[in-house]
Amino acid sequence: MNFDLELITGSIPRMLVGIGLTFELMFLSAVIGLALAIILLLMRISGKWYLNWPAQVFIYVFRGTPILVQIFIIYYGLPQFDFIRESIFWPILREPFGSAVLALSLNTGAYVSEILRGGVLGVDRGLLEAGSALGMSARHKFIYITTPIAARLALPAYSNDVISLMKATSLASTITLMDMTGIARTIVAQTFAPYEIFISLAIVYMILTYFIQKTFGRIERRLSNYVNPEGLE
Amino acid sequence: MDAVAGWWDDYFWGSMVVLQVFFASLVLMVVFGLIGSAAKLSDSKIAQKIAAAYTVVFRGTPEILVILLLYFGSAITITSIAQVFNPDIKFLDIPPIWAGTFAIGLIVGSYATETFRGAFLGVKPGSIEAARALGMSNFQTFIYIRVPEMWRLALPPFGNHMLSLIKDTALISIIGLNETFFVASQAIASTGKPFTMYIVVGCIYLAFSSIITLSVMGMEKFGNRTTVGAR
Repeated sequence: MNFDLELITGSIPRMLVGIGLTFELMFLSAVIGLALAIILLLMRISGKWYLNWPAQVFIYVFRGTPILVQIFIIYYGLPQFDFIRESIFWPILREPFGSAVLALSLNTGAYVSEILRGGVLGVDRGLLEAGSALGMSARHKFIYITTPIAARLALPAYSNDVISLMKATSLASTITLMDMTGIARTIVAQTFAPYEIFISLAIVYMILTYFIQKTFGRIERRLSNYVNPEGLE
Repeated sequence: MDAVAGWWDDYFWGSMVVLQVFFASLVLMVVFGLIGSAAKLSDSKIAQKIAAAYTVVFRGTPEILVILLLYFGSAITITSIAQVFNPDIKFLDIPPIWAGTFAIGLIVGSYATETFRGAFLGVKPGSIEAARALGMSNFQTFIYIRVPEMWRLALPPFGNHMLSLIKDTALISIIGLNETFFVASQAIASTGKPFTMYIVVGCIYLAFSSIITLSVMGMEKFGNRTTVGAR
């Protein structure tokens, strides 16, 4: 057992080939997931039970099951039904990439909608009353008062969710996708040098995490630079 | 659902493995979390640095990578040690259940570190001063004042950590642990019904997470029975 430095320098470029796929999975799922989260949030705060209940069930199911199971149900499970194989979605669901993006989006959407809801509930009542006093309609209050404040309140938790999403993209390797983790597993299967390969890959992921944190930290500061330093009130 | 009929017992034993991993990793998670938070709160600069590195590393690395590294890493280490004594040995490993349990305990423990630290710092200074004024010793203050206040603060995030643990057990199937997810793969090979089989796995996990959520809610209610107003 010896630490093979040459193997590390040789395999890092090979693994970095997969970083594009990692980014694609992450950005696509983050965008679709955020859109889904906003829809779910609007359903939950709509006050109508036939919108609220389905959203709650969706969130409950997707937060209560492992994402690996969700990925496998979508990629391996759905083709069990003929009507899905004949539907227009089949070209997406047939591909491991499409299935992975769908699973990650649904999963992150469920988590993010709860985060956004926390932000919306955190908005000071007084501000909304002030809005009413100014004669703003419910829609105006939501757009001009709730949204900016809730977004600021939700941002720290949202950045954590983006990091979770980035880490979850590594699970795409279980459905044959060749992202960084998929490539690393192939290299380990060939060379049987788990320490060198997996530790170097872990460092790559940690660097990505660091950059996500930095980026969100910058956005947070920009969004709150007119807020009094005593806190977000 | 007919296809599942012959597999209920396998799913049941798979669920038992999930529970076994859950409870073992829960203990490890608490241990790592307490050690980590103690190190972060200590005066030693070195202990603080090590604890900080621990949280950064395990929060920034995908869970699956930690599991693969611990399993294959330990296997290659053990194999090379064994080969010193007996060159005929080709492959030895730590059973996947232990490698996996250790891995997820370590990962979620890094999150628990922050929870415990936050709970410790969240104890009101006034309570401590009151205990001092009553002439309580440090130990008495810890047992009667700090711990009761701390566990109420730590309970909601701790519930989330337990949910992470139970969901992470599914990842251990990747290194060949014989739990529900693994049972489903075998059942699919013989029945050709992947959707049905994986949905059963999903339902099992959903049941486990519901039980955890409900117990944490019950414990919160119990913990806050004497506090005035909602926390």
